[in-house]
Amino acid sequence: MTPPMVEARGLARSYPGDVEALRGVDITVQPGEFVTIVGRSGSGKSTLLNILGGLDAPTGGTVAIRGEILDYSDRRALIAHRRKTVGFVFQQFNLVSSLTARENVEYPLLFSYRPVTERRKIARDLLRMVGLLERESHYPAQLSGGEQQRVAIARALVSDAPLILADEPTGNLDSATSGEIFSLLQRLNRERGVTLVVVTHERELASYADRRIEMRDGRVVA
Amino acid sequence: MTARLLEFIGLAFRQLFRRKVRVILTVTGIAIGVAALVGTVAVGDGIRTQAVEAIRTQSDLTLIEALPGTSGEIVTLVSATKASAAGTLPGVRASAPVERSTLATRGQTYVQVVGLPAGARDDVLLTRFQKGRGFAAGSDEVVLGASLGQKLQRFEGVRIGDPLILVRRTYDASGRPVDREIRVVPVGIMEERGDEYDQFLLMDLPLALSLDAANDGYSGVLIRTDGPDAVFPVAGGVRALGLSPRGSFEQIEAVNRMMDMVVIFLGIFAGLSLLVGGLMIASTMITSVYERTREIGIAMAVGASEGDVMEMILAECAVLGCIGGICGDLLGLAFAGVLNTLGGPFLASRFGDAFAGLFDTEIALVTWPLLAGGLVLAVALSLVAGLYPAWKASRLNPVEAIRAGR
Repeated sequence: MTPPMVEARGLARSYPGDVEALRGVDITVQPGEFVTIVGRSGSGKSTLLNILGGLDAPTGGTVAIRGEILDYSDRRALIAHRRKTVGFVFQQFNLVSSLTARENVEYPLLFSYRPVTERRKIARDLLRMVGLLERESHYPAQLSGGEQQRVAIARALVSDAPLILADEPTGNLDSATSGEIFSLLQRLNRERGVTLVVVTHERELASYADRRIEMRDGRVVA
Repeated sequence: MTARLLEFIGLAFRQLFRRKVRVILTVTGIAIGVAALVGTVAVGDGIRTQAVEAIRTQSDLTLIEALPGTSGEIVTLVSATKASAAGTLPGVRASAPVERSTLATRGQTYVQVVGLPAGARDDVLLTRFQKGRGFAAGSDEVVLGASLGQKLQRFEGVRIGDPLILVRRTYDASGRPVDREIRVVPVGIMEERGDEYDQFLLMDLPLALSLDAANDGYSGVLIRTDGPDAVFPVAGGVRALGLSPRGSFEQIEAVNRMMDMVVIFLGIFAGLSLLVGGLMIASTMITSVYERTREIGIAMAVGASEGDVMEMILAECAVLGCIGGICGDLLGLAFAGVLNTLGGPFLASRFGDAFAGLFDTEIALVTWPLLAGGLVLAVALSLVAGLYPAWKASRLNPVEAIRAGR
């Protein structure tokens, strides 16, 4: 039996000053599933995503990726997790302004010691897939918000990561562009079999996903 | 690994290009430091080389005289054994024990006398004669230095082949002077040498030793070295024998000591300006890390390790140092060029004929090792200056870093 892509048990995250962002979260995401996490601001959605992506560490509970417990005290393991297992898509796009669209897409591969020619080919293929090949030499400032987010999605896919974590990917986009981005994510999920966990506060966009998880005050409520 | 380092350097160029004004100011700071250092050392080396060259051409550099040595209250005499040992030192081509004395003519001209074996005379002193020949072994023949010969001819009518009476004055127990006359025959006058031997009278060693009954070994040992490079090792060997070496090389030692002091002294100021350049790099990079907190967070989120982040920041520092070092070398070269073109004529016109020799000489000497040293120093200093910002960047929390840039 294939283990779940993500299995979080009793996940807790507190900050100094008795701030509890997560209070015992249990979620399971199967391989190839498209899951949205919805909830109000401050409900713990982004914290959960950061912990699943190895950017932050929980103060309680465990996370298993494909059946293996992620050791948050092992820096090397976390770096390997970020390099190979997960791809991030951020609300602010977070592209490097001094790099072109293609260079932004291939940026993660620079840290995996992949040859330049191979990186370039992968990046161009992904840009073609998101419909931006003709804009590969443009800098982020020369792209619209929707285009920047598509570049960011291509970047998240470049390491061939099986799990994409997207934190409010349409938070800075108008509703038409938001629909396009969710359509693209849905297509990636169906065509490439990528597991998607997408945080959003726009409930109508959650309809693109297979399943919706609702959070409130650091807990999963539905 | 190397390919990736080159990519980091390429990225560093692009990052630096985004902050042109700040980078130009920082690079200027390093360049001034490097130029000051290169200029200081170049001037020091130039003056040192000129001085040493002048000593080499104006004096007999490969001639050393080993004199009795003193260490505290212990005096090491130049015995026959010591003289023989000095002659067998590596780098010695020829040697001869010498006995010095001071005599006077009847016309009250004081004459410095050096006695040395007739067989070793020409090998050690490389004597050449403008008139006559050298003295024969076991004879009362003498040879006059160029200046002495001219002086005795002009004022006392001394001629080659005619006997010359020299007077040696000693004092008896009651303090009264006792004069002893010695008859010698000048048989040759040496060519002008440009050293103290132009004033000397040379005679055979046994004759010189006979002038003083109470001889306590020799006055010294004259040593001719294989070449200029052997001078300092031979001088060291002489010192090791407990004797005191003397010769033109002492002037070179003195020049080197003085120039070392000058270069160190000026180098401290140049080093301080380089240190300021290093602090500017540290400041620039700290600001850069602060401004790029979000980018560093992104790099970490997409898989950069702490080491990768440090490499990226240090690559920028190395590029800054490299550009600064090259600019500094070019500035140093320009400074040396201006000094060599205008400095000589300026000094010559300012200080007169005594400095006329500087007219067309290189006051500042810039060498490839010096330029390479300037560049390496600039890069090394930049890397050291970048360590703290790089370490700071590598310790950023990715989540906080990404959030901080919003």
